[in-house]
Order: sequence, then structure tokens, then C-alpha cells
Amino acid sequence: MNLRLYLARRFLMLAPLLLGLSLLTFTISRLVPGDPVGLAAGPQASVEIQEALRKQFGLDQPLPIQYLSYMRGVLQGDWGRSLYTRRDVTEALSVFFPATLELTLAAVLLATALGVPAGVISAMYRNQFPDHVARVISLFFVSFPAFWLAMIMQTVLGRYAGLVPIGRRFPVIMSPPPQVTGLYLVDSLLALDFAAFSIALNHILVPALVLSFGALASITRITRASMIEILERDFVRSARAIGIPERVVIGKYVLRNAFIATLTVISLNFGWLMAGAILIETIFDWPGIGLYAVHASLSLDFQPIMGITIVYGVLFSLVNILTDVAYGILDPRIRYG
Amino acid sequence: MVEISSKTLQELQSEARSAHRENLRRSLYRFRSNTLSMIGLAILLFIIFIAFAAPILVPFPEDAGGATHFLDKLLPPSAEHPFGTDKVGRDIFSRVLMGTGLALQVGITIIVLATTIGVTVGAIAAYFGGAVDDVLMRITDIFLTVPALVLAIAISAALGKGIINAMIGISLVWWPGFARLTRSLVLSLREEAFVEAAYGIGASHMRILFRHILPNAVSPIIIKMTTDFGFAVLTAAALGFIGIGAQPPTPEWGAMIEDGRHYFTDEWWVATFPGMAIWLLVFSWNLLGDGLRDVLDPRARR
Repeated sequence: MNLRLYLARRFLMLAPLLLGLSLLTFTISRLVPGDPVGLAAGPQASVEIQEALRKQFGLDQPLPIQYLSYMRGVLQGDWGRSLYTRRDVTEALSVFFPATLELTLAAVLLATALGVPAGVISAMYRNQFPDHVARVISLFFVSFPAFWLAMIMQTVLGRYAGLVPIGRRFPVIMSPPPQVTGLYLVDSLLALDFAAFSIALNHILVPALVLSFGALASITRITRASMIEILERDFVRSARAIGIPERVVIGKYVLRNAFIATLTVISLNFGWLMAGAILIETIFDWPGIGLYAVHASLSLDFQPIMGITIVYGVLFSLVNILTDVAYGILDPRIRYG
Repeated sequence: MVEISSKTLQELQSEARSAHRENLRRSLYRFRSNTLSMIGLAILLFIIFIAFAAPILVPFPEDAGGATHFLDKLLPPSAEHPFGTDKVGRDIFSRVLMGTGLALQVGITIIVLATTIGVTVGAIAAYFGGAVDDVLMRITDIFLTVPALVLAIAISAALGKGIINAMIGISLVWWPGFARLTRSLVLSLREEAFVEAAYGIGASHMRILFRHILPNAVSPIIIKMTTDFGFAVLTAAALGFIGIGAQPPTPEWGAMIEDGRHYFTDEWWVATFPGMAIWLLVFSWNLLGDGLRDVLDPRARR
């Protein structure tokens, strides 16, 4: 099957999944034992005002009708409004989404940059001192509650040492780089504004580092395991026998083959880190979807929550599809199908 | 054939038992020779001891609840209060130790619930196949399209704040991993000759599934249970921290960190010690799980 057909099929299979997901979150949101409308209207609101609010948000309709009209809206780009702030969910998501994406991508890159070399070293010195050290370090860091470590690094590096900003993506008094992708690091480079790039980098460094710890252990472990498996193959012995330098054997032949398993774990971790970003955003006041999600769930504001889960679902599914495409690039023997 | 029939049933059984014992002995040896997992086990046993002994050990057991001593609020660590006191003067040392049992219970409950649901769904899907498999796995896929924490927050928030609802919420998003794993294990075991034999002598589906197939799938499931335990504890603490999980004055470590967050710059001890407790529990469990993986799945570590 060629790539285009394969992609078309994958995207087609995405539709029922997202439909199921929306049904699931809709069910969850209507399970609420409390009364979101009563909460939103405030304690002084009269019954008439509450009824009016209910009518305005369509909550007086039967549930199947509510779901259908919500889905009609979703397909037309109208994802409803917050009960509290009355802000459009679509508009809010489009503002918050790039911030979360940038943080997650930065963390995934950092986790790969730290975890893959650690795994390679572990495999090369298996069951020797460097292997044990790498194992302990990765287990050490993955065991931290990320929000707690974030708080400590924010205070020590930001407040006490003054090395990095204590929060947010960009100084409030400055205007961020002109929006192209919404990722400040990319946008500032596109605008050739290196000062803005270093400011944005300074802001994202600590949050992304803390977030990346959550993925470190699994990336190290899988890289080690698959490197060891490949190292025992005959072609590696042949490569060494004909005098190819060890550096090239490891870097070019073994790692490339071992990276397929690692890639699977990295893409799984993308989902983990995207969710972990919720906590990191809370600490660093990072204006992303996570912060939005926490506020919305604390106030039982379910229109935003439904939008948020759908966005997470779409993004995570896209990452999975991209991963499958990448397998074929890494190993041309893998056929799409 | 002759040789087999010449043995009595007792002989066969005792042979099987001694082979079993030999396997167990080897596994225990592999486990004991792994220094890191022995350290993990030692720390974990210490934590379990603390969980049981806390009510006798701690100086101020009443501080685990809603007691207040405003005159002693936000005191730094001292001989009387080794971990300092919080904003209403409660002894943090007492609260952290009294919270140990809760943290263990939360982790165990989540993992046991998630395993029960996941193993049942996965086993039924794989064993019966066809339409049953399709329906169950599509439902599983829906849960897997969203990162677990996101759905856990939504479900727990909808059910209402509190530690019980947080545990339910987390379990409800945690089972799909177990379902996937169990399904893949049962799919391959289903083709084994002993399943056909059991079917041949008229065993029921439930008996074949639970007495013959699942016992052979135990090792990978246990590995996943131990490696997931730490993450379950972290997730429950995260919900407590966000404010959806355990509510004050419950001595839940995540909620205690949230409590100390606003004083962190000056009164660092309020949030620091509960965080270290979470780390110690998760770290010891991860060390242990790492070793257990070597024992139960010898291919994993070479």
C-alpha cells in the first residue's frame, strides 16, 4: 500500500474514535452530581435567572438532542462557550494550544537527547558501572512528583539564584514574536529575532527539563534493550570484522535499527508528557491548555473540558500516525498496511 | 508411554512440585543477587512498617485530622517538630507519617481495580474473538486516545472532589493498558494444546479462561502492576495537588504539597517533606519493580 492511501485510511479510522471520545466525555460531563448552572449563576441568582441560563446553554433539552447539537457545533467550528467566563472554547483553545504544544515538544526533545545517549552507553557497558549509574539516575528522576520538583527548581533557580524567570512564556511587558506557528522558539527564529529567541528559551528551559524527567527512564530502558538485541546480530559482527570503526557501527548501524523500538516509546511518552504538562503549567503559570483544563474542571465547566479532551485526542492520534509513518522511513523494509 | 503410566499420580505431582520449587528458588536467587531491588525492597518494607506503626510512633497523631494550634503555625523544623508545622500549626512530621498508609492504600486500590477490569476485558475479548473482541477493543481504544491524566481529571471532577472519587477516576482510565496486554497474552495462549485438551474433556469457557489460560499470563501482568504502581501513586498525588483529589485536612501528600505551595519561598518545609515522602515511596517501588522484571522476564535484562 502506498503512503497516501495508508494515510487516508488512518485518518478515516480516526473519525469513529473521536466520535466515541466525544460521546464518552459528554456522558462524563452529564454525570455531574452537582449543579454547574447553579454554581455559575451564583448563590443570589433567582430560579428564573437559572432557568434562563439553562435555556441559553441548551441544558433544558433532552440529552440526545444536546449531544447532537453539540456535535453539529463542533463540526462547524463552534465548540460552545464557558459557563463562567462566556469565552468561546474554540478561541480559547487556539490561544492556549501552541503554548502546550511548544512545552511538550521541548520536553520530548530533551528527554530524547538525554535518554537515548544514556541507553546507548548502558548497552555498550552492559552490567558494568556506567550501566548501573544510568539505571539508578533514570529511576531516581522518574520517581519525583513532577509538580513538586518543578516548584523546587522554580524557587531555587528562579527566586533564589535569579538564573531563570519564575514563570510564564514571555515577559508581560514585551510583545512576543510575530505569530506564525504560535511556538515562540520557532516564530522568533523565523523573524530572525535572536534576542526574543533567547528570552523564550530562558523561559521554557526549566519547565521543559522537569517535564522531560517523566519520560527519561522508559526511553533509556528501551534504547538499552533494543541496542543489546541488535548488537548480538550477525551483521554487527561482520561490520566489526571488516574493520568499520566502532563509532560508525554503533551510530550508523546499531542505533538506527534500535531506534524503531525507541520511537514507539517516545511517541507513547508524548502523550504522557502532554498530560504531565497540565501540572507543570500550573506551577510555572504557563498559559497553555493544562492551566485552562484545571480551572475548567475545578469549576465543573464542561464545555471547555469536552473541547480540551477532543484536542488532546486529535493531537495524540496524529502523533501515533506520524510515528507509524516514521517507521517506514527508518526501516524501508516496513510496509504500510 | 509405558514410563509415564508406570508412575503413580503422587509421584507425578511431587515431581511437578519440586520442579516448581526449583524455579522459584532460582527466581529468588536472581532477585536476591540484584542489589538495587534489595535496597528497594528494604525501603519499601520500612515504609510499610511506618504505615502500620505511625499512630503509635508520631508525637501528635491528632494533627492528621483537623486539629489546629494557631500559636505554633509555620514553625521551622526543630527537635519538637522535625519537619516543622503548617499554616494552622499542625506537626508536618506526624502528618507525613500518618499519610503513609493512605498513599499505599490509594496505590494498591487503583492498581487492583484497574487490573481486575483490564484483565477481564482483555481476556474475554481475546478468548471469544469476533464481534465481542471488536466491540471491547474499540472501547479500549477510545480510552487510549487521550492521555490518562486528562480523562482522570475530567471523571474525578465530574464525580466530585475527594480521594475516593479520585481513585475511581484514575482506575477507570488505567485499565485499558491491562486490557491490551492481557488480550495479546491470551491470543497466543488460546492456540496452545492444553487449551484444546481442556476443551476436549468438557471444561467450561470460564474454567478454561480463568484456570488454564490466565495463570499462564500472570508474569507480564505482575510486571505491569509493579511498574504502574509508582505512576498510580504519582497520579493520585497530582489530583490532590490540583485540588480535585483528597481534600484538606486529609493527610494526603499531594494535597499537603498544594497546601505548602503558597508559603514555599519562605516556609519551604511545608511542601518539601510530603514531596520527599512521595519520592521515596515511588523510588523504592521502581527499584523493586526493575528487579522483579529481571526475575519474571529474564529476556528483559541481559
